[in-house]
Amino acid sequence: MLIWLLSDSDSSKHLAFSETLSGFCSHFTDIKAEFAVKTRHSLWESIFAHLRDSKRNPIADIIEIPHNWTALLAKLGLLSDLSRIFEDFNPLACPEFITREFGPGEGGTVFSAPWWMEAPALFYSPSALKAMGGNPGEHGLSWEEFSAVLEKLSIRRRAMGSDFYPLCFPASSGALGLNDVLPRVWSRGGGLFSQDLSRASFNKDETSAGIQDLLNLAVNGHARLFSPALFEGAGYFHEGAAFAFSPRDLCSGRGMGAPKSTLGMLPWPGYNPAQAPKVWQAGANAAGGPVNINNLAVFSGTADLKAAASLLKWLLKPERVGKFTAAFSVFPCHRAEFEERLENSRQGGLYRRIFTGASLRPNITVYPTAEMLLERVLWNMSLSVARRDYSNDDLTRELIIAQGEADYLLSLY
Amino acid sequence: MKKPKHYKDQPEDYSLAAFAGREAFLKAALEAVAHRFELDGVSFYEYEEKTSLLRLVLKLERGVIFEHEENSIPDPDSSAYEALKNLKPVSFRGVAGYFAAVPFKLDYSGVSRQKSSSVSTGLVRLERYARKKRFSPSECSAAMTYIGEFLRNYYKAEFFSLNKKYSRNIEAITELTEVFAGSLRVRDSFRHILAGIQTYFGFDRVRLYLIDEKNRKLKGELSADIRGQIKSIAYEEIPLEPGAHRFADIVLGRSSGAFMERYKDCVLYLPLVVQGVTIGLLIVDNLLSQQRIAPEDLVLLKSFAGQIGLVLDNVRLFDKVEELSLYDELTRLPLRRYFNQRFQEEFYRAERFKQPLAIIWGDVDYFKEVNDTYGHQIGDKALKEMGRVILSNLRKIDFPCRYGGDEVIIMLPQATGVEALKLSQRLIEEISEVRIPVPFSKTRELKISMSLGISTFPQDAASQEKLLEKADDALYWVKSHCRGHAALYAESAAAGQSEAERAGGVVVPGSKGKKTDSGEKYNVND
Repeated sequence: MLIWLLSDSDSSKHLAFSETLSGFCSHFTDIKAEFAVKTRHSLWESIFAHLRDSKRNPIADIIEIPHNWTALLAKLGLLSDLSRIFEDFNPLACPEFITREFGPGEGGTVFSAPWWMEAPALFYSPSALKAMGGNPGEHGLSWEEFSAVLEKLSIRRRAMGSDFYPLCFPASSGALGLNDVLPRVWSRGGGLFSQDLSRASFNKDETSAGIQDLLNLAVNGHARLFSPALFEGAGYFHEGAAFAFSPRDLCSGRGMGAPKSTLGMLPWPGYNPAQAPKVWQAGANAAGGPVNINNLAVFSGTADLKAAASLLKWLLKPERVGKFTAAFSVFPCHRAEFEERLENSRQGGLYRRIFTGASLRPNITVYPTAEMLLERVLWNMSLSVARRDYSNDDLTRELIIAQGEADYLLSLY
Repeated sequence: MKKPKHYKDQPEDYSLAAFAGREAFLKAALEAVAHRFELDGVSFYEYEEKTSLLRLVLKLERGVIFEHEENSIPDPDSSAYEALKNLKPVSFRGVAGYFAAVPFKLDYSGVSRQKSSSVSTGLVRLERYARKKRFSPSECSAAMTYIGEFLRNYYKAEFFSLNKKYSRNIEAITELTEVFAGSLRVRDSFRHILAGIQTYFGFDRVRLYLIDEKNRKLKGELSADIRGQIKSIAYEEIPLEPGAHRFADIVLGRSSGAFMERYKDCVLYLPLVVQGVTIGLLIVDNLLSQQRIAPEDLVLLKSFAGQIGLVLDNVRLFDKVEELSLYDELTRLPLRRYFNQRFQEEFYRAERFKQPLAIIWGDVDYFKEVNDTYGHQIGDKALKEMGRVILSNLRKIDFPCRYGGDEVIIMLPQATGVEALKLSQRLIEEISEVRIPVPFSKTRELKISMSLGISTFPQDAASQEKLLEKADDALYWVKSHCRGHAALYAESAAAGQSEAERAGGVVVPGSKGKKTDSGEKYNVND
């Protein structure tokens, strides 16, 4: 049996999974299981390669997917209905904001099970912030306050002739990605699609402005895209960086080279959950924030459904999910384990506020492709920034074209 | 570092993995390097000179091999830049430990046949934790040699990957050519072509449009999705005018604009041209998956486009020839030969499943006189109108034919005598409303009528021949008693019996005597 796991920035997740899988294999000695790690892109390619030629390109029995790939993969007939695989499967054991959005579908079908989640936040060096006169209130910094502090830090950096950049994106591939820009885009009232999901809104002013805000951080020298720091062994959050946008709890200090004990955490600057397209708010003043969820799914054509079901059960066992997610500083999707993690986390209070106002990406057929289209725009623009030939007009042109494609796809699928 | 069981220490042993393809080879290479130099991590990077991007391809860390998206642009004073520029290994120290950047440059133009990708440059980064020993110059040099040995096998891996691809392409060419050559019927051909393309190329979608020259339209025919499901797109009709639609512009050879430029990586438009004339458009796309159509697929598909065009043209011609041999050009009704074939099948079905079947035999009243008086042109018009009225009143399962001259037969599967009579009356009524203009004559228009005789299975006959005979008998009875009407064989036979009894003899339909239209009156509106 083969499992495809999504890649992570370091090996913590993969080692934790390897350990969990070893436990499974020693318990179920008649089942042989191994795993391979794929990036989102290579996973996507492998899935479509399988659809094109299933004999030459076999697919894994269990796949880790971003939650919002579920609708598409189920429509393509690739996923098993988990409610039929194991009788005692309870999708409602997840935190309420997940079950509200991704509860059982028509006829009680469940095509993927929420596994773990992460919430992007701003991590900062308190001393650097204090030195620049930054004073985060209860709800963190506004975008303007954040930009002003970065500007001061950059001026000091240039004056000192230093090569550090005050802001870094530890989870980035080098270019800005959708995960990096979406919180700002949502804060401004933009998004990939209109509220009723009937039209693409890439070129909506608010969407475009949100992307520009992030690109401008690099254009103005506050952050470096395609940074060579990682290759050179400096780690993601290298010395000198005052801020990091990260979906992982850097304060817990696992992975990403974060100096855990000295870091503080704030909600995304200027994040306005009321503007986000999909919002569930428990409290009127909840700070809220975007939340990424990764699910587990079973391939519909698996040769050994029983073994796949056994492994899925094993992986989703609450205490096991708890241990696994702790290994790489993310949150379990099991309600009781999630609550326990919040209780024990140094930043539990803030995370509770973020998750309470969680904004989730819609799980519709076209969404993964739309994300890919926007990722391509961001990649092209990031390269332009690195080459120092970026212009807002180029961004607008790219967004118009990508929106046309997304609209066309909406009409087809 | 755990040593993989199936390989020994030497690069040539690991190089066996090259036979399994590039991915397997790289995994084996990373494992071997990590084992040989006692590393905590080793990563394989490719360098793209055009963008100056250093891309992580595969990484091994603490025994786990994984892909990860990591792209960087080396600074001019960085270790990576120095190693790439001088093609010499560079050791350095970072926060997480000791590192060595070992460069490589491969020229495999003899294998790839593509000038643009003939040189591959990159780095292998070796990693040890801080508490372990640093990389000495001699160790770096040994690593460069060891990795160099390995990467010579990269050539082999590339060769086998390409070889597999070429074999697949040849297989595709052979099998698709067979599929195309064996396709003679239009509907089947369309399906075969689309299914064949999906089997060997597997696009997100393939769509076929054909040009309807008469109506100047591009008409949708079929679409196949990535799962091979084929559906009709007959609802898609695009006016063949400049600017009406981008498909129309492509067929008309007009510029496609900036939007198309963006599309070109994952959408391919293939105009189907035969002898310089565009007959249709084949569109393949990977819009959902956003995956680039490989250049070699593009070349292969372009060469197939000519074949596909030829096949489509052939099958359309075949269809035309078949239509001419099976259908009467004047009335558009099937010919007797075709009818006989279908009649045999339907009669067998009716017998086997014990279902009723009715036959209507009819002709145009006074047809000979129409021809003699107004000429064959007007006679032809009368037959054409008759054909039109018949075709517009039948169910899908009914089957008419022009049996000869002005005689027609209509086969009605699963129909009783009463149902056949109802249809006959409707036909007679509609035919009586037909007016045929008669030029250069005092007579402005011609009115025609039809007589119809009906027989039914199993009531009237138990064989095909008898069933036809009884319908003809019924028609004869109508002709001799009440032209412009229809009669069931059973009723006409009963009426004939009574007449015979009244006349003191026995005459039933079937003992026709002489049947002629000549000398009888016909209706002309003056």
